Amino acid sequence: MNSVDEPEKRFRATPLEGSSASHDAQPVAEVSGVEKSYRMDAVEVPVLKQINLLVRPGHFTVLLGPSGSGKTTLLNLIGCIDRPDKGEVTVAGCAVNDLSDDELSDFRAKHIGFIFQNFNLLPVLSAYENIEYPLLLAGVPAKVRGERVPKLLEAVGLADLAKNRPGQLSGGQRQRVAIARALARRPRLVIADEPTANLDSQTGSAILSLMRHMQQRYQISFLFSSHDRSVIRAADDTIYLKDGVIQSIKRRQVSLAEPTRSLQRDQSEAA
Amino acid sequence: MIDFALAVRNLLRNSRRSLATFIALAIGTSSILLFSGFSANIKLSMQTAYVRTGGHLQIQHRDFFLYGSGDPTAYGIRNFRGLIDAIQNDAVLKQQILVLTPTLQFGSIAGNYEAGVSRTVIGVGLVAADYNRMRSWNEFNLPQTDPPFALDGAAPDAAIIGTGVARVLQLCEALKVEGCRRLTPEPPSEAPALPSDIAELALEGSTAAAADAMRTGAKIELLASRAGGTPNVVAVQVVLAERQGFKELDEVYVMLQLPQAQRLVYGRGEAEATALMVQLAHSSDVARVKARLEALLPAAAGAQPLVVMDFKELNPFFVQTIGMFDTIFGFIFVLIGTIVLFTVSNTMNTAVVERTVEVGTIRAIGLRARGVQRLFVLEGALLGVSGAVAGAVFALVLAALVNQLGLTWMPPGSGDRLPLVLLVSSVPGVVIGTTVGLSMIATLSAWWPARRAARLGIVDALRHV
Repeated sequence: MNSVDEPEKRFRATPLEGSSASHDAQPVAEVSGVEKSYRMDAVEVPVLKQINLLVRPGHFTVLLGPSGSGKTTLLNLIGCIDRPDKGEVTVAGCAVNDLSDDELSDFRAKHIGFIFQNFNLLPVLSAYENIEYPLLLAGVPAKVRGERVPKLLEAVGLADLAKNRPGQLSGGQRQRVAIARALARRPRLVIADEPTANLDSQTGSAILSLMRHMQQRYQISFLFSSHDRSVIRAADDTIYLKDGVIQSIKRRQVSLAEPTRSLQRDQSEAA
Repeated sequence: MIDFALAVRNLLRNSRRSLATFIALAIGTSSILLFSGFSANIKLSMQTAYVRTGGHLQIQHRDFFLYGSGDPTAYGIRNFRGLIDAIQNDAVLKQQILVLTPTLQFGSIAGNYEAGVSRTVIGVGLVAADYNRMRSWNEFNLPQTDPPFALDGAAPDAAIIGTGVARVLQLCEALKVEGCRRLTPEPPSEAPALPSDIAELALEGSTAAAADAMRTGAKIELLASRAGGTPNVVAVQVVLAERQGFKELDEVYVMLQLPQAQRLVYGRGEAEATALMVQLAHSSDVARVKARLEALLPAAAGAQPLVVMDFKELNPFFVQTIGMFDTIFGFIFVLIGTIVLFTVSNTMNTAVVERTVEVGTIRAIGLRARGVQRLFVLEGALLGVSGAVAGAVFALVLAALVNQLGLTWMPPGSGDRLPLVLLVSSVPGVVIGTTVGLSMIATLSAWWPARRAARLGIVDALRHV
């Protein structure tokens, strides 16, 4: 049995503050009865057990837990780069279990942004090109790309380093590029797997602030994992995972009005 | 466009490995093309030699090719001049035929009675002026030119013999044949000497005055059987000993004026020819001209069972040689193609392993599996095309350089050194085919590693260390 059934039901029943549209109340991701295990040699190792979870839209959600607790696996399932053995995953209102591999690729390209622990930038592309790459994959017109990418570079404070390749950037700068890349297509959800783990505490803190800022500015849901309890204060929702089971979920009531206005301002700028 | 940029940059990323693969491809391509250039030189040189000496086509009695050497008089072409006129009056053939000339081939014994030596020879009677024109044929612009035909403008009883014939008949000194060792003279025999000129004994042949004139210089007698089986002898004045290209031919070849040959073989009877040689301006017209001649023959040649044979049918050795070179070319292509396949495949496999995390990343970002496959195949194709094109350019440049150096080589069985020419640019089909072929092999080589990359699980790829 999942220990967080009650809080999740409450969340589903209560409309979010500051959002009038029913669309806003719809969870950006929903995980129901999900189980996942990996085979190591001949042994089946359960990683996630009967997970039920709702990720609120436009919120900054942190997935906490010690190493091996199943955080990354849960992120992979919600990020649609892995499939559950059992249960259902719904992202942006779409039941992704039934999607084909190509459909999942298209779905990820449209709705999900990724930020990786090791940044995972393409080393042969410049910062500008790395951010532009998802837009190219989606066939976004050159004019739109030409407007959006410099804005993102500006937003993450790397306008001067647009032509630098990842090898010419520091860890913090690379992660900023990765954040900009994740946001390039204006996804519904950004998945970040331990985005600060490979950074020193000061840079990690700055990256966390940047993510929070971008999340508020673009009103995009962020779901990221960490084993650092100090990130709790930055999060709206905190999900604690241990041994493949959700131990607790803490949700903070936040106003979405301000980020919504920010998004409207950005959209009018883009237009 | 982004795929192309990524492919190029990824290739340049590990420049040493890419360069090694590129060089392997370039060397492979140039090796194939240089060999094909050499092979083309052999083919075209042989073809040129055969067309110069025998024409593209010959009209013969249907059985002459197989049985005629034993009895040419039984397989001659009667009224060959009428047939020549009919062909020359054909509006289409007139434009395609350069030379149409009769020839008479016969078996004979050539003797130098003064030296007391003789040998069996193949005699050929030719119209010297026509044959001289045939020898200047050079459709492929090869750097090998035959000297003017010495019988053209020479006396009616003049003859040319192979240098091998000259050696055996001990005429090297008289004919100034280079590299022909003079034998130590035997002590004089006590037996009564043979007449210096057996031709004097012949019923047919030269007049006494002509015989007197021939007593000086290199004079030989040719003995052949006439129609009906009676022997006949003519004396001829050898004006030149000439290499015949192939040693076997050089040892037996005697050329003389057609009327002289006809007098030897047919005596006072109706002169015939054993073949009409047809030389064309362009070798590509062979099939068309052959078909037209075959259509023309029944009306022009009457009831004579004549056939038209092309130079390939007349020279099986040519076909066998070309077949051998084609087989070697195919073997080399397969060998190098296999090397290219494994080299590119190995390069791309390594690239896939090295970039596994990148594959996971771009898949997570939203690139479809097919897109990943396309990316790696494109890299293989770029390597293949660039390497093969560079190899082709290198082969063309090297061939031009070698051709400029004026090197020579001695083909097996040949009596002469021939220019070493690499006709790479003369076979554009092979250049394009090889370049495209190796590029395709390189692309296909990348297909399997690319497929493996495309099928990587995203999570596993991202976890890859």
